[in-house]
Amino acid sequence: MSGIQPPYKILVVDDEPDLQPLVQQRMRRYVRSGQYQFTFAQNGVEALECLRQDDEIVIVLSDINMPKMDGLALLDQIPKVNPNIRSVIISAYGDMKNIRTAMNRGAFDFVTKPVDFDDLKLTIDRTLQQLLEWRDALGARDRLVALQNELNVASQMQQSILPKSFPQGSDFEIYASMKPARSVGGDFFDVMRLEGGVLGLAVADVSDKGVPAALFMMSSRTLLKGAAIGLGKPSEVLAEVNNLLCEDNETAMFVTLVYAVYDPSNRKLTFANGGHNPPVLIDRDGNATRLPLTGGVALGLVPDLEYEQMSVTLSPGDHVIFYTDGVTEAMNEAEEEFGMDRLEGLFSQSRPSEARVVNDVIFDAVMDFAGDAPQSDDITCMTLRAEG
Amino acid sequence: MELSSENTGGAVIVKAVGRVDGANARDFHEGLEASIGAGGESMVLDFEGLSYISSAGLRVVLLVAKTLQQQSAKLAVCSLSDSIREVFEISGFDKIVPVYADAGDAMSGLGL
Repeated sequence: MSGIQPPYKILVVDDEPDLQPLVQQRMRRYVRSGQYQFTFAQNGVEALECLRQDDEIVIVLSDINMPKMDGLALLDQIPKVNPNIRSVIISAYGDMKNIRTAMNRGAFDFVTKPVDFDDLKLTIDRTLQQLLEWRDALGARDRLVALQNELNVASQMQQSILPKSFPQGSDFEIYASMKPARSVGGDFFDVMRLEGGVLGLAVADVSDKGVPAALFMMSSRTLLKGAAIGLGKPSEVLAEVNNLLCEDNETAMFVTLVYAVYDPSNRKLTFANGGHNPPVLIDRDGNATRLPLTGGVALGLVPDLEYEQMSVTLSPGDHVIFYTDGVTEAMNEAEEEFGMDRLEGLFSQSRPSEARVVNDVIFDAVMDFAGDAPQSDDITCMTLRAEG
Repeated sequence: MELSSENTGGAVIVKAVGRVDGANARDFHEGLEASIGAGGESMVLDFEGLSYISSAGLRVVLLVAKTLQQQSAKLAVCSLSDSIREVFEISGFDKIVPVYADAGDAMSGLGL
């Protein structure tokens, strides 16, 4: 993963002519075995030229006192050519002042003259080891950035399919919002105007996270919209979407969703539940009732299932809350869940007034409850209010 | 999340303890796949010690059921706590994977 392999290229920089033959002789075993490969330069200027020409050089081994550009000036220049090179300085024995300056300028290590080649070998290997680990870490960082980009793509896909505005009417109100988790989840909601002034409402949760889940979410939403417009009856819509999602679904991804049709003219809400949390009806006095599960299985798992639907007639002032498990399974720092009881008890003291307020009260309550505990799942809530 | 498995009476019984969520669903999957017997044995997932399972965990249960099905073996779950049972009921998973009261019931349910 480090992207560098032997022979490791080492640039030796010294103006004295005797170092080159000495290195070649004393290190020849490692050169022959393919471990190292040496290049030589006479001063800092030549060294920089070598680095520009050959980006495979991983270590610079440099003297300090040289004409044209000395070793300390070279240390300043190396990162500008290649920030991932490690430098080792060769200094006179006891020249602590220059050694300290060199270390301050980014030298990784030093050896002293006369060069002890066993010590030099150890120093080179230690430097290489550190360099390999460093490059591994850089690679890991790059992969993390790539993963983050992928999550951003998924997040944008998720946001892009949510309705930005809601249908308005004198006899109903709708409001919905989603608070995505940091790692992209797969919630979505949709509000559709269907024929005859009827509304199609959906809240859904895809089983996994990341780009594959986002793609599954996109197709779920598109198939749902198509089926909703073409078929009408919630039970038939779910059966149709289920069959379409089951085709080629080797990954066993699935989506739970509630699809409901609301007719404001007679306040009749007809809904079918495909493995999703039951919507909650809050009446004008703040009393909560869970809408029954209709026995449906999550969509995308088993083809040719039949789905049931049920109807309720709402009264003016009733609110129906559609939500995902991000609401009920939100956890606080004591690892307790928000739970159905808290959701259902929210309006026992303060009567619900309008869809947006109800939705906001739920979000605020969940956030208050969770406190500083990290949000692990998308939180989605949609509220329908029936008017007289 | 901890998994332990024992091969008994023609089935592999896997006990899962702790939480299964999006963060460890992959470990859960790998652990279950590793527990699949070489002889086409059916599997019973004992969830008595399981405190939470997310949809990502349910997906793993289904993937393992599919793997077993390819070997003509079956998957059953047993000993669900109330909250896990609720998750299975709401999602409809109890209609796809048979749910039993305990491992003994599961074994007889699988015809073992």
